[in-house]
Amino acid sequence: MESRFHQELDVLKMLILQMAALAERSLMNAIKALLDRDVDLAGKVIDGDREINLLEVEVDRQSLKLLALDQPMARDLRFIIGCMRIAVDLERIGDQAVNVAQRAQFLSSRPALPPNPVMEQLGETAIDMLKSVIAAFVNEDSQLAVEVCRMDDVADELNVTILRNLLEYMVNEVAAVERSVQTIIVSRCLERVADQATNIAESVIFIQKGVNIKHHCQE
Amino acid sequence: MNKQCKMASRRLNFFYGDYQALHDISLELNENQVSALIGPSGCGKSTFLRCLNRMNDLIPKSRVEGEIILDDRNVYDPGVDVVTLRRKVGMVFQKPNPFPKTIFENVAYGLRVNGLKDSEALASRVERSLRQAALWEEVKDRLHRSALGLSGGQQQRLCIARALAVEPEVILMDEPASALDPIATQKIEELIHELKKNYTIVIVTHNMQQAARVSDVTAFFYMGKLIEVDLTETLFTRPKYKQTEDYITGRFG
Repeated sequence: MESRFHQELDVLKMLILQMAALAERSLMNAIKALLDRDVDLAGKVIDGDREINLLEVEVDRQSLKLLALDQPMARDLRFIIGCMRIAVDLERIGDQAVNVAQRAQFLSSRPALPPNPVMEQLGETAIDMLKSVIAAFVNEDSQLAVEVCRMDDVADELNVTILRNLLEYMVNEVAAVERSVQTIIVSRCLERVADQATNIAESVIFIQKGVNIKHHCQE
Repeated sequence: MNKQCKMASRRLNFFYGDYQALHDISLELNENQVSALIGPSGCGKSTFLRCLNRMNDLIPKSRVEGEIILDDRNVYDPGVDVVTLRRKVGMVFQKPNPFPKTIFENVAYGLRVNGLKDSEALASRVERSLRQAALWEEVKDRLHRSALGLSGGQQQRLCIARALAVEPEVILMDEPASALDPIATQKIEELIHELKKNYTIVIVTHNMQQAARVSDVTAFFYMGKLIEVDLTETLFTRPKYKQTEDYITGRFG
């Protein structure tokens, strides 16, 4: 039979999975709202953020309780510390989704900019990284987590491409400067989501292997 | 680890009659470090500790193979004087066991046995030992009252002072705080931290948090075998072996 302590660790894991599911849904809806110019869907993303925030507080409470009452060791200790870090990143992904949703509402109220396939690609990359890293967490798969870290370069490049394209566009379309700047902010938000997914991947590797690969400190 | 090895076992086997309690234990204990021995009941950690100063010699039908090296000499060599060995390698037990004598006489006892008669020298050594054991301030006004009137925690520190009085080089502690309340335990742990500056300390404990708090190096024993030894921080955060991981995370059995 699983010990009381390990049942409590499962509770912590469930909280992270709930947060992850909500953050993933928020991000997907925010990108959909942006691409479909759907103001209502953007509003739902903004309203839904509170639920993610409350779960983060719950993760903190559960983690603190387990650290104080059970003095965990080794893998259990790494799991709790990893979950606390992952919760911070998931909460921020929720915030980025809200930022994207707010830009989507603004852009929907103005004439549409030309289609931006690179933005779609960046959105897909961010969603893909988030889904993969959650799978890596659930399946304790540090190899998949390493792959997520590598995908971050793709997101960075797409963000740079979007920035470059929009700068060129703005030079000729002075009337579209404000919409272009808002779109650049969206691109930046999605690039940050990729960074946060990378952070989560680093936490997954820390939980599995006990090594810290943040900031390439192992090199 | 960069520390000087003070004591080491080399391929140590120990038998209680036909029963082999220790299998091929090779372990180095470094100077000015606290080494903790952990593991479930019956894993051999206390047996190992007692081999270090030959306390197991007293057990009928017991037998030792292999070596215990103290400063380049095997303590099981026929020429070794066990009394001298136990003066160099002192021991503190689980339950405080003061003699039914005064506080002063408890600490002076070993010195007298070793032939020290000068009363000034005795008094100064007793005071120094009690200070080292962080007990002096609490007992200096009642040195000539019975040691049995002290609290459990004070009695245990008195036993540590008694061990220190004969100027050992290594101190073995067999669950020294398991019979004490949390405050007395904390005092003992602080004391261990101070003592390692001057001594080599080996501690057996059932309390993993205590091992984590007080030791520099931790050795995990299981079924008479040394499974893993590493820096305490490493062993408790990322142990190499699954048996260690299962034990310290409570997933055993």
